Amino acid sequence: MLDFVQAVSDGVLFGATYALIGIGFTLVFGVMHKINMAYAAASIGAAYAGLLLLQVMAGAPPWAVFACAFLAGGLLGWLVYLACFHFIPLSHPLATLMSTVGMLLLIDEVVVHATDGMPQSYPAMFDDVMLHAGEFTLRGDLLLVFGVCVVAMACLLALLYRTRLGLATRAVSQQPVAAQLCGIQVARVNAMTFVVTGLLGGLAGAMIGASVGTLSPLLSGPLTVKGLIVTVIGGLGSIPGAIVAGLLVGGFENVFQLYRGVTERDLYVMLLLFVFLVFRPGGIFAARAGRD
Amino acid sequence: MKKLALAVALAFAAGGALAQEKTVRISGFGAKTGPVRSFGINSEAAMQAAADVINKGGGVKLADGSKAKIVVDFYDDACNAEQGISVIRRIAGTDALVAIGPTCSNVAEPLFGILQKKVDDKTDTGLQFPVFTDVAIKVGLAKISEWAFRNVPNEMTMYSSLFYWLRQKYPDLKTVWGGVEEDFAHSRATWHVVMKDRANANNFQVLGESKWLLADTNFATQVREMKKANADIIAISAHPFSMCGALKEMQRQGVKPKVLVGLTSSSSLETLQGCAKQAQGMIIPTSFAPVTKEAKFAAEQTAKYKGAADLHSMAAWENMFILKQVMESEKISGDKSQVQADRRKIRDGLAKLKVTKGLLGDTKRTDDREADKPYLFVQAKGSEWVVLHNPL
Repeated sequence: MLDFVQAVSDGVLFGATYALIGIGFTLVFGVMHKINMAYAAASIGAAYAGLLLLQVMAGAPPWAVFACAFLAGGLLGWLVYLACFHFIPLSHPLATLMSTVGMLLLIDEVVVHATDGMPQSYPAMFDDVMLHAGEFTLRGDLLLVFGVCVVAMACLLALLYRTRLGLATRAVSQQPVAAQLCGIQVARVNAMTFVVTGLLGGLAGAMIGASVGTLSPLLSGPLTVKGLIVTVIGGLGSIPGAIVAGLLVGGFENVFQLYRGVTERDLYVMLLLFVFLVFRPGGIFAARAGRD
Repeated sequence: MKKLALAVALAFAAGGALAQEKTVRISGFGAKTGPVRSFGINSEAAMQAAADVINKGGGVKLADGSKAKIVVDFYDDACNAEQGISVIRRIAGTDALVAIGPTCSNVAEPLFGILQKKVDDKTDTGLQFPVFTDVAIKVGLAKISEWAFRNVPNEMTMYSSLFYWLRQKYPDLKTVWGGVEEDFAHSRATWHVVMKDRANANNFQVLGESKWLLADTNFATQVREMKKANADIIAISAHPFSMCGALKEMQRQGVKPKVLVGLTSSSSLETLQGCAKQAQGMIIPTSFAPVTKEAKFAAEQTAKYKGAADLHSMAAWENMFILKQVMESEKISGDKSQVQADRRKIRDGLAKLKVTKGLLGDTKRTDDREADKPYLFVQAKGSEWVVLHNPL
């Protein structure tokens, strides 16, 4: 029983990073009804960019590296928007999808060329802290990651529901034509959505780097798949759905690994996705309205 | 006017000499994109550096007594089997006499499969092109084709020796637990076929293993298994990224084995860059360390081409000199119209070799076209790998 509880808690804590990646996918989909396949790669790219700070300022504290990754994420988000969405006709559904796939490969390869594919040690906070309750343990750094993710999600929800930008974003998401008639600049809102999701992605990348302790370009592929699974299970376009699904997938993944081993783990996660697609195709929190 | 005429005459003479300069092409191939890009970069640098040294010494002596310079080119297979097969077909379409590569065992295995299995088998239309592998290390691959040769360390011998040495040096150690990257051909085979077997053969009790995947990010469950097992020795058969993730998790959970053993491929700069602190004390058998005059020279020359010297890249360096020796002993023509005949001579020459000169000493060649290379044990100390023991 202890093993089960331990696996669930480890998985749920780590699942917070999946939730952040899932939010990025879902927010862009919610606003533009497009999938940004480059999101996880850009998040990892931003985490790498955070490491540049250590080259300029050796011994910089981990929080400064995270902040640098956060800002780099925003910049990368804007660049992805410009390259893959702004100049490409949005009416062609495959055009933006393929351009983001291309961007995924490009970002990955830039990282590979910059680092020769070598894993890079990533700073962490509280990585030597382990909370004990009998034999049950909780990693201090994962608790921090979880906390940061929760705060980031809360900030995002506040941005969406308490600010004019959030109002405009929701308006564009629900009725873009009506939003435009009300004077909202749709292209600007779309760009801001990418910057905001980019910032979130930068943070997610940094948190993933901190929790693993090492960064590698190998990460972006599996994270893209996990992000998409989280988005579908949570419900396309639903932020609360992405949060719940991220934690759910993290927890389930660890439980499957505990009982069925690492080689079968991903099969069961895919089976979980399949079950949702068959019995609840809209996900846990299916969006009530979309773009007309 | 006289000076101008002289200059023109000299220029023509030099041009004529250049036109007459013979060349032989050796193609390298390996991963130069993707997460294992560093392997390809290092192999290419070692090949270029070795060619440079050979060419400065006059080049390769041909059958007619003339000398030819070695030309090296390098192709990217991205550690991808389809791309690797496409690359070798492309190389075979050029005037290259032999290829050195690939980086990854998952490329080498299918690639050797498209080569002719038995020489002179008229019913087999497989590619008749010699491949001399420097990096792909999974046990026993060269037997797939008689055109495949490898100069990679024999892990069976190395880990046998390592566990024997551990048994002698630490008689109190009894148990072993494995950590294995299950989805990578080399690491998987090394644990299941080599390390586990050799540990058992040296009277260690293998308690079990924890498995993870190459791109895994969470090692908590696996390390808890290790902690529960409380083995004296933990042997990790994984490449640097996932190994570093596991080592960092071991540190968090306070898992401190008495001895930590690593995978041959991880005795590299990558591991120290990713997790030097956590890898401290790790022991790895390797076929390269800059301990001899020749090895130091090879490392210095390779560094000039911005490559790092390790057990893989230095095998590429050795391959270049072995091929020079074979080309000369088999008296290749170097004539572009005789490319296939020269390739066959190189294949036959490689097959005849019983001993080759390596950077750490003589390498024995086996009947199944593999190498039995000299090796030593290195240990992670500070920010470098230092020689711990030389068993030979």
